[in-house]
This record gives sequence, structure tokens and C-alpha cells, in this order.
Amino acid sequence: MRPFDPVYIVRYFYELVPFIGRTLQVMILSVICGTVCGALLAWARLSSSRTARSFSVVYVHIIRCTPSIVLLFIVYYGLPKLIESLTGIRTGYNGKLLYVTITLSLLFAAAMCELFRAAYSAVDTGQKDAAFCCGFTPFQTAYLIIIPQALTAAIPVFCNEVIALLKQGALAFTIGFIDLMGETDVIVARNYGAHGLEVYIALAVIYWGLSIIIEQIAGIFEQRTMRGKTFPDEKRSLKA
Amino acid sequence: MGLNLPFLTKTFMLALKGIPVSLEITILSLLFAVIPAYYMALARLYHIKILSQIISIFISFIRGTPIVIQILFIYSLLPSLINAAAVRTGSSFNIFNTHPVIYAVVVFSLHTSVMLSEVIRASISTVDNGQFDASYALGMKQSQAFRLIIMPQAVVEAVPNLGTLTVNLFKETSLSFLMTVQDITAIAKIEASYGYNYIEAYIDIFIIYLIMCSLIQLIFYIAERIITRK
Repeated sequence: MRPFDPVYIVRYFYELVPFIGRTLQVMILSVICGTVCGALLAWARLSSSRTARSFSVVYVHIIRCTPSIVLLFIVYYGLPKLIESLTGIRTGYNGKLLYVTITLSLLFAAAMCELFRAAYSAVDTGQKDAAFCCGFTPFQTAYLIIIPQALTAAIPVFCNEVIALLKQGALAFTIGFIDLMGETDVIVARNYGAHGLEVYIALAVIYWGLSIIIEQIAGIFEQRTMRGKTFPDEKRSLKA
Repeated sequence: MGLNLPFLTKTFMLALKGIPVSLEITILSLLFAVIPAYYMALARLYHIKILSQIISIFISFIRGTPIVIQILFIYSLLPSLINAAAVRTGSSFNIFNTHPVIYAVVVFSLHTSVMLSEVIRASISTVDNGQFDASYALGMKQSQAFRLIIMPQAVVEAVPNLGTLTVNLFKETSLSFLMTVQDITAIAKIEASYGYNYIEAYIDIFIIYLIMCSLIQLIFYIAERIITRK
């Protein structure tokens, strides 16, 4: 066992920093795709069609019961096979970015479906009736009445889900995708396992920093949407 | 699509043997996490100086980093630390014979204690402050108020979150193959590597996790029904 050397933490930190962009790229793409799919799923869940509702329920249940790594492998190995059997096109196993993004979007869509549903149900039905009486279209009702009210409650949940997505993205190294975690794996392999601890510390610090930054950004947005609202029971202490 | 069906069923049967290992890690981690989680939640609820800040940093770290890194970090740190300690004290304890499940339990206990402390903290703060005032007015001590008044109400609030936590933990144990634990994922992966039948193996793992997580959710749903009926 080589002695622990903190100098390597700094060295590997600088080596890993350029790969933040790759991780963020996957994260942002998945957030966008996942939010769109999640909105569609939530819409299906709240619709009057029985098939659409049950599809949404079953989808969310399956995703909640599947470890992210298993979903990643099913998409990575299964999707090319599926495409080949349907269209005869051999896609090969290139384009790992695509597979990782699809997996993360599938995961994020389920979380977003739950979020949208909860946020929508949290707004009083009287508000929708009132908007209807004022002659608002469903789009206007959503855009002007429901979303502004649902946003405050939704932002912290959204933030948590984005951080969860960032962390699940770290699993992409198992299919050989080179992002922060993938590069760490490469560095450890290049050193034949030496200084593994120092690399992992550097990596953990980067992920921790990213999570804190996301939390701070969400905090700013939350403050903005809270303008004019008061929460009487917000700060409580158990001190008697 | 040309799935290898005999392989699918054969691996499914083999991977079933991994369920007790995954369950063992899940249950042991939950048990070890309960006490630290409870005191961490209390320290934060009572805003105990310094301790509360240290715990906040610890919680932020565990929640802000992927579980993969925590696994790799502890798996590369812990053996050398214990080995160094063993060499220094001159004991003949050989760390390299340690069962990998022990490392898995250490990692997941740390992880779960943080998640559980958040669940406990949330459930205690949903109980109205007036309940405390009422119990003090009845002449109860703080410990009595906690045990007799607050906890029974907090537990009811905690059950759904506890269910989510257990399901997530069970899912995360699928990563313990990184620590060479022979769980569901590891068994199926090893079978797959002989003939490159990865898709079949992962479908097996997927089905097993789907069944197990549905069962866990069902158990917590029944528990919730029983508790709230009273």
C-alpha cells in the first residue's frame, strides 16, 4: 500500500475538472427530455382515458422498482438489438451518450410525472372552476393560474430530482462512457489501482460541489417564486 | 428479437439465490442505521451547536455524492486502514479474508443513516408543537413526552417515506457487485459473461427487482393501513 498523499488529490482534481462539461451535458439533455416525457405522462395520468391512466401508473411503478444500473444495461444492450430486429439496421454499440441520455430521461420522466401530478393536485379545484367561469382556455388556466401556484412547492422537489439524476449519471461508467466517473475509472486503471483513494476524494469533492451549486440555484428560484407569499409555520424549533 | 429463452430461465433460477444476500444487506443496513439516524435527527431538531453543523455537513456530503463513489471510496479506504491498524497492534487479523458483505453493510449503513435521519426529522417536525406544550402541561418529562406522545404520531407519518427509503436501498444494493458481493446482479452478470448473453441476464435482474420491490411496497402499504386504522 502506497502512503496516502494529499498532493495527488489536487493533481487529479485538475485532471477531472474538464470532464464536468460532459457530465453536465448528459444531465441537462436528460432533464429536458425527461421533463417533456414526464409532462406527457402526468397528462396521461390525469386524463379521462383509462388506458392512458394505467399506462402512466404502470410506467412509474416499473421505473420505481428498477435499479438505475439495470435500466442502463437494458437500454444499452437491448435497444440496439430491438432496432436491429425491427428495421434490420445494425447500430452497434457506439453513441454511448445517446444510451445514457435515454436511460436517464426514462428515470427522470417517472419522477417528473409524480411531481407534476402532485403539483397539479395541490392547487384547489375552485381555482380551476373560477378560471373556467372567467372564460379561460385550459392552456390559459394552466399558464396563468395553476403553474404560478404550483411552482413554489415544486421547485425543491425538482432540485432534489435533478441532484438524484446527477448522481445516477455517475453509473454511466459501467458501460464505458467517459464522464467524470468514467475518467476516474480510466485514471485508476492507468495507475494500476494506485492512489485510488485520492482520485475518489477529488471526484467526491467535484460531485459535492455540483450538488451544492444546483441547490443554491434552486434556492434563488424558490425565493423569487415566493414573493408575496407567507408561510406561517415555516421555521419551527422543538425547544420548549 | 432472438432471446435465448433456456438461458433466461436458467439464469433466473440461479439469480434467485442472490435475493437473500440483497435482503440481508438491506435489513442489516436499516437496523444499524436506526440509532445513529435517530440521534442525528434529534441533534438537528434541537439545533445543538457544532454537532448540528457537523451532522449537516455529513448529510450534505452523503446526499451530494453518488453512492458509487461512496462504495469505491470506502472499499479502497477501509481495508487498508484496518490492515494498518492490525499491523501496528501486531495482531494476526487478516483483513483480506473479510467477507465482502461486511463492506457492503458498512457503506449502506452510512448511506441509510443519513436518509433515515431525514425521514425521522421530517416526521417529527410534522407533529404539532402544541402536542409538546400539552404534554408538559400534564407534567410529563421531555423523554416521556417523546416516547408517549410524539413518537406514536411521528411513526405514522414516517411509514410511507420509510417504504420509499427501503425500496431505494434495496435497489441500490444492486451496486454491491462492485464490492464482489454475490448478490442478484453479480450472479446474473457472471452467468452472462460466459456467452455474452447480457440482455437476457439483465431482463432476469429486472424481473426479480420488479417483483421484490413490488412486494416491499405492498408490505409497507399493509403496514400503513394497519397503523392508521387504530
